[in-house]
Amino acid sequence: MTPGQRGGLIVMALTTAYFVAWAVTQLAMAAVAAVWTWRYRRRQSRRARLLVERVAPPLVSIVAPAFNEELTIVHSVRALLALDYERREIVVVNDGSTDGTLALLQRTFDLVRAPVAYVQPLPSAPVRAVYRSARDPALVVVDKANGGCKADASNAGINAARGELVLVIDADTVLEPDALTRVVLPFLEDPSTVAAGANVAIVNGCGVTDGRLTSVALPRSRLARLQIVEYMRAFLLFRPACAACNSLLILSGAFGLFRRDALIAIGGFDRTAIGEDMDLTLRLQRYYRAARLPFRIAFDPAPLCATQAPEDWQSLRSQRRRWRRGLMQVLWRHRGMIVNPRYGLVGLGSLPYVAIFEGLAPLLEFVSYVLMMVALLLGAVDWRHYAAVVVVWSLLGTAVTMTAVLLNDLVTGRYLAGTDLARLVVTALVENCGYRQLNTWWGFIGTVQALTGKGGWGTMKRRAFQGTP
Amino acid sequence: MLTDVDVLAKLALPVARAAWWLALSATVAVIVERAAVGIGQLRRRRLEARYAPLVRRALAEDEDAERALTACPHRHRLDIATLLIAPLTNDREPGRIASTRRVVEALSLTRDAERMLKSRRWWRRAVALRALGLLQDRRYTAHAVAALDDPSADVRAAALDALADLCDPASLPAVVVRLLDTSLHRGRRAAAVAAFGPAAEPLVLDLAEIDAGHRVCYARALAICGTAAARPALCRWVSGGSRDLRAAALAALAHTGLDPRAATVAVAALETPDPDIRAAAAAALAGWTGCPDATAPLARHLDDHWPVAAAAARALHAMGPSGREALLAAAQRTDLTGRLARQALWRPQAQA
Repeated sequence: MTPGQRGGLIVMALTTAYFVAWAVTQLAMAAVAAVWTWRYRRRQSRRARLLVERVAPPLVSIVAPAFNEELTIVHSVRALLALDYERREIVVVNDGSTDGTLALLQRTFDLVRAPVAYVQPLPSAPVRAVYRSARDPALVVVDKANGGCKADASNAGINAARGELVLVIDADTVLEPDALTRVVLPFLEDPSTVAAGANVAIVNGCGVTDGRLTSVALPRSRLARLQIVEYMRAFLLFRPACAACNSLLILSGAFGLFRRDALIAIGGFDRTAIGEDMDLTLRLQRYYRAARLPFRIAFDPAPLCATQAPEDWQSLRSQRRRWRRGLMQVLWRHRGMIVNPRYGLVGLGSLPYVAIFEGLAPLLEFVSYVLMMVALLLGAVDWRHYAAVVVVWSLLGTAVTMTAVLLNDLVTGRYLAGTDLARLVVTALVENCGYRQLNTWWGFIGTVQALTGKGGWGTMKRRAFQGTP
Repeated sequence: MLTDVDVLAKLALPVARAAWWLALSATVAVIVERAAVGIGQLRRRRLEARYAPLVRRALAEDEDAERALTACPHRHRLDIATLLIAPLTNDREPGRIASTRRVVEALSLTRDAERMLKSRRWWRRAVALRALGLLQDRRYTAHAVAALDDPSADVRAAALDALADLCDPASLPAVVVRLLDTSLHRGRRAAAVAAFGPAAEPLVLDLAEIDAGHRVCYARALAICGTAAARPALCRWVSGGSRDLRAAALAALAHTGLDPRAATVAVAALETPDPDIRAAAAAALAGWTGCPDATAPLARHLDDHWPVAAAAARALHAMGPSGREALLAAAQRTDLTGRLARQALWRPQAQA
């Protein structure tokens, strides 16, 4: 065996070992998540509403930053106003939209300029005006100069919020009618709860009328289906496993409920953070763990809300690059927590996992792909060996994805139609044959952009909801 | 001698096999689970089609339907119980509860519930407790009280839910004593006290007299169930308690409403150095128009720390003409206080 052949084999073996380690960790998390989810299902009763009605529930301010959301904003606000939780106010933050978002809101909800006094403990771009709805006193619209990021708009919304709890969502997030009642429960049950999140489903393919989900189906778009299995893995394997040991690293920016005083204590959203949701969750973990204060970050694996996934390659590419830049930035900022026993299971478990299997993954995978391709082209590696390795990766990926599908069935009961299973199995297989590699490439570019300080926020093509009149 | 390449070659096959079996078994597990879910759904639909009309008729006191339900196979009893009891979560109409209890009794379903209460599986105990609570079957109050000490937190939560539903005066001491029990969910403790309402007040006051160390908890309970009878004790606590107790007692006074003595205490509390107490005092004075006059003291606090100022503005707004006058005067200013006053005075109709 020539040194080249030997080197090629070793690269393949190391890469496979990395995949095996990833799959083993994922399956171990799946085991923890399965036990936790089983308990969650057993705990479920239909009494959340009854409990909330009996006690004086906390006032919840729903902060919805909106930048150029004219396609969906009216339906989203209508759905928010129709939530089955009475003690809520809706704070829409128009983040300097250049389309008709503000005008549409003004027309539809009879907004009138109102004197609103509040202190601004969190930094944000200047507020131009505050409007209140003449139709519904629970609706407040903060019109501000564009701050260039969601964090800035969220901070402005939190400043204007009156509630002791603040739900930060995306303007196009579609909430289940009982989402608020359910996500408030951990705060009622355990006074040490500082934040709570939930499973975020993908709305593509679903019917939405007046901002409410009316039907659930797998999307026709293959790209959206590929993202569905990714979301399943993220929300039903990793997060429940982390939630089981209070070491959640991220509450999705599309749906996160926070105690307002906790947000203010840590300075709100960081306007320089690209992945502001993960950065905020980690700062909460850091703050409470460092101060040795009792705290809990709760997670509901049920899909209490849904959000749009990009259906075109360009939007997906810019989203993934941004996520990558955000992840690298967050890992760098909080590097002191990694393998630091002071931060408990976050420092010793979830954060090292993310650093190795998400932070380093694109670099390691990209380098190994390149080396193997070179070895293959030079004849240093037998193509049959290469094919065998690719098959092993695909099978491991499929095993992990099917485990997530199993948990999805148990928790959400979504995509249970006969043809859905076949589509999900095909998606799980196809994902490893090109899509994963493409993601690796985008991740690699995103990492390079993070290191060189390049790359902007990017834009996503929004679509009007299906079934919207 | 084995080289590293040989080792890799030896490992390759087992790894490939393991990956294959993992993928296959995960896929098969999903298929089996989906088949089981499908069969379960089909069974539920069939049972529902068969028994739902009978349940409706039985609830309407149709004896034939009741007999038909009684004659059902034993394996269907839990499904029938679900059809009968689950709707009570949303439908708390006493007539519906009574008729459901009657049918459940006729079908001897309570015996099944008793068995479940003794089950080793915590979720069965929890389901039984919640069902008996929804049925408001007070013969099981003692079971629910005993379950407050269950090793499972979920069963303890279910027991509190059941006690809130049962609202049996016999369980009141147990509920009130557990106000301090942090092993029980905070919201559920409050909900149980709220379910009893003012009936819980005398017991809370008695306990607060004996157990001075936990008066903050009792004051918080009085913010849920307190009435005018609690005012003297609350006034005492505002005048001479710890910081937390004073704030909690003022919050309870906001719930019970004020009398001249309580108003005097609240107005005095507006001048304490602690902003939390001042904010609670301002909130307690909301709507008070009697003697002593609270308008001027509250108006002075429109310049205070933000939570105090906001509470003072809300309190003035709730006072009617006198408070409105004070707010109008403050609204002339151009600073944050002026804006706060304008916000309190603002009405959408006036601007539209």
